[in-house]
Amino acid sequence: MSVEEVLAACRQQDGGGGGAVPEPPAPAAQAAPPPEPTAAASKPAASAAKPAASGKKPGAMSVADMLAAARGEVSDDAAAPKPAGKKPAAKPAAKTKAAAPAAEAKQPVGPKDTMSILAAARGAAKPGPISKAEAAARAKESPAPKKEKPTAPPMPAKPDYAKVAPAPAVDQAERRGFLVACAAIFAGTFFVTSSLAIGFSSLAVTSLLWVLGTARFMFPNILAEPPTVFTVGFPDEYAPGQVVTKFKAQFGVWIVRYEYEGQAQIYALESVCTHLGCTPNWLDGEQKFKCPCHGTGYYKDGINFEGPAPRPLERFAIRVADDGQLEVDKSRKFKEEVGQWADLASYVSV
Amino acid sequence: MHGQNYEEFILGVSGFLTAYYVFIAIMNAVAALYLWQSGRAKPLFRFPIVGFMVSTAHIWVIVTAIFLMLGAGATNGGASVLSLSTSTRDLIDSWMNPITYSLGTLGILSVVFVARKFFVKPIVAWSLLNLSLLFMGLSMTDMEFAAIVMKPDNVPIVAMIYLLGYFTWLGAYRAVQNDERIARGEQPLESLDNEKVLVWPDLVYTELICMIVVTAILLLWGVGLMAPLEEPASTVQTPNPSKAPWYFLGLQEMLVYYDPWMAGVVLPSLIVGGLMAIPFIDFNPKGNGYYTIAERKFAYCTFQFGFLVLWVTLIVMGTFLRGPNWNFFGFYETWDQHKVQALNNVDLSQYFWVNLLQMGRPKAPDGSSTAMTVVYIAVRESPGILLLLFYFVGGPPAMVIYNKFFRQLFLRMGFMRYMVLSNLILLMGLLPLKMVARWVVNLKYFISIPEYFLNF
Repeated sequence: MSVEEVLAACRQQDGGGGGAVPEPPAPAAQAAPPPEPTAAASKPAASAAKPAASGKKPGAMSVADMLAAARGEVSDDAAAPKPAGKKPAAKPAAKTKAAAPAAEAKQPVGPKDTMSILAAARGAAKPGPISKAEAAARAKESPAPKKEKPTAPPMPAKPDYAKVAPAPAVDQAERRGFLVACAAIFAGTFFVTSSLAIGFSSLAVTSLLWVLGTARFMFPNILAEPPTVFTVGFPDEYAPGQVVTKFKAQFGVWIVRYEYEGQAQIYALESVCTHLGCTPNWLDGEQKFKCPCHGTGYYKDGINFEGPAPRPLERFAIRVADDGQLEVDKSRKFKEEVGQWADLASYVSV
Repeated sequence: MHGQNYEEFILGVSGFLTAYYVFIAIMNAVAALYLWQSGRAKPLFRFPIVGFMVSTAHIWVIVTAIFLMLGAGATNGGASVLSLSTSTRDLIDSWMNPITYSLGTLGILSVVFVARKFFVKPIVAWSLLNLSLLFMGLSMTDMEFAAIVMKPDNVPIVAMIYLLGYFTWLGAYRAVQNDERIARGEQPLESLDNEKVLVWPDLVYTELICMIVVTAILLLWGVGLMAPLEEPASTVQTPNPSKAPWYFLGLQEMLVYYDPWMAGVVLPSLIVGGLMAIPFIDFNPKGNGYYTIAERKFAYCTFQFGFLVLWVTLIVMGTFLRGPNWNFFGFYETWDQHKVQALNNVDLSQYFWVNLLQMGRPKAPDGSSTAMTVVYIAVRESPGILLLLFYFVGGPPAMVIYNKFFRQLFLRMGFMRYMVLSNLILLMGLLPLKMVARWVVNLKYFISIPEYFLNF
């Protein structure tokens, strides 16, 4: 029999029966197996209480009502039949108050809390449960409850077979020597000559040599790269509209004599596509730079006009050197999209 | 291949073609034998007078004979005859451009999808396979076509196309069968065959055989095809055309339409992230453990669009149709270094301010502060920014409001999942939209801020 069935049976009995006498379940409750009487019907006290409750409430009794009623009946007292659901928890409290001293009976009846129940169980000053307010007051009065410190039993002595043989004095020295060795390494002194100090010192020296070697590697004796500053001939060697590609293989630069914004100039364009860094080719027939990777095209002045490149080619610095030759400086670049092509160092006027 | 005259080339290719045609003939003969012996040959029609019943097995026997004759013809100096006519090739070339190629592929795949009940029939699929192989054979006598297809780099891609076709067909075939069964109220085929098998010997034997076969193929491949080595690398000389590895050709094609950080970083990350999000988005239990299309139309179409159209099609395009300077070339077109393609890409802001409003693009006056420059840039690019905002912010709710299917999706998925799904779909849709915009109106970027490397 499930809980629902039990409750349904109870409800049926209370609502339908309405009689003052405990009697077998109502016809509707007969659907339940007869050998298992309902929890409510089996208790004479419960059946005694229920008529009173059902007398006030002709309708179906709620579960809360039933539970409250059942709780009330345990105390076999006349207070039980009073309408449940109002303060179910207050009833037992009221009950115990009768046994409690008279002074405490005046205490407001509130919901019991865990603290008070525990206090009651401990039975320090007041045997019965107390209200929340009372508990709070009490907690203030005696802030530090006496608590006996639990004393742990003494530890058993370590058996002889478990004892570690005392370490030789040398080991202890070495152990302590670690810090000393570290200090020695940092201080650069090698007066402490233990094996650990030697090991760590040599590690530090080796690391230092590696760092120094790497630093030396960064500055090779011979630089295979072409110089970043180089001359590309005299300005009058360049015909108007000419793109010179002979410096591309060595220096990665095109020297162009053309015009930009109506001004005749000689400028050095870097032969690197601004899309993904491939090397475009100068197509003389179509008068454009064309990148083989994704098809970007640039006009002769380096402005991108087709394909995906987001910005024009970049210029290197160019100037007329003291000997009258053009000198390209690859260490300085000029970008068109931020207006750097107006910089005097980015071109040579012709 | 290059440096040969046509006669030498034909002589070289005829031996290959003979083996090729004989291979196809044997393939058809095996198919006919299988159909005949297993009793699966379907009767097609009866000859009116003789009363002879023609079945599918007979058809494939006839096809075998035709291919055998082609092989015999190729070996006897007839290879130059066994080719598409020059006018046909020129016609195909003239029709080939990015738009017809991409939209045509999409159209063909759509037709195949809609009429899948017809196309998955074994007789139809086998016929299409034969026709495509015949087309390849006839095209191989063209020098340009052969140069691309027989390049050691590209041979695996040709094999991949056929493998992909086979597996797509297999999935669709079984899905169509299951869909018909489900429509009749029966269980899918996979649930009938749910007998458990043992790891040893069933699985281990299969794996062993696969291992041996793959090793053999790799050995033959390594022996037969020379490694595609090129000249020593140089920082100032880029090979022309410079092509990515085949599996990245789709990415390289994307790079043509987007800024590097967009196509190289953001979109690939989104592809990976989107694939990882599938279990989160797709909680439909249908189709688990069996092939089906009818029950999973949206998922199937989305996947096939993303994979077949946006990835495989672009790989094929990058392999066979992109030549020097990344120009588009037809199958039979000579790879001319100096092919001129009039492309003049224009940003959306240029279109809006200069072409539409007949004024200059807003430009911060010289010497203005950084904040002022940024404001001017924002104003300059406002058309593209607004357009994309409208697309990504307005798109998801618009789909819910105007589309019943997406409305149901939204209700079923909840806000978060729906937003993830719809934004991923919108992003996926942006790629073909951008490509078409590039081809049709030469649109370069919606948002173009080269000052801060922000282009979209």
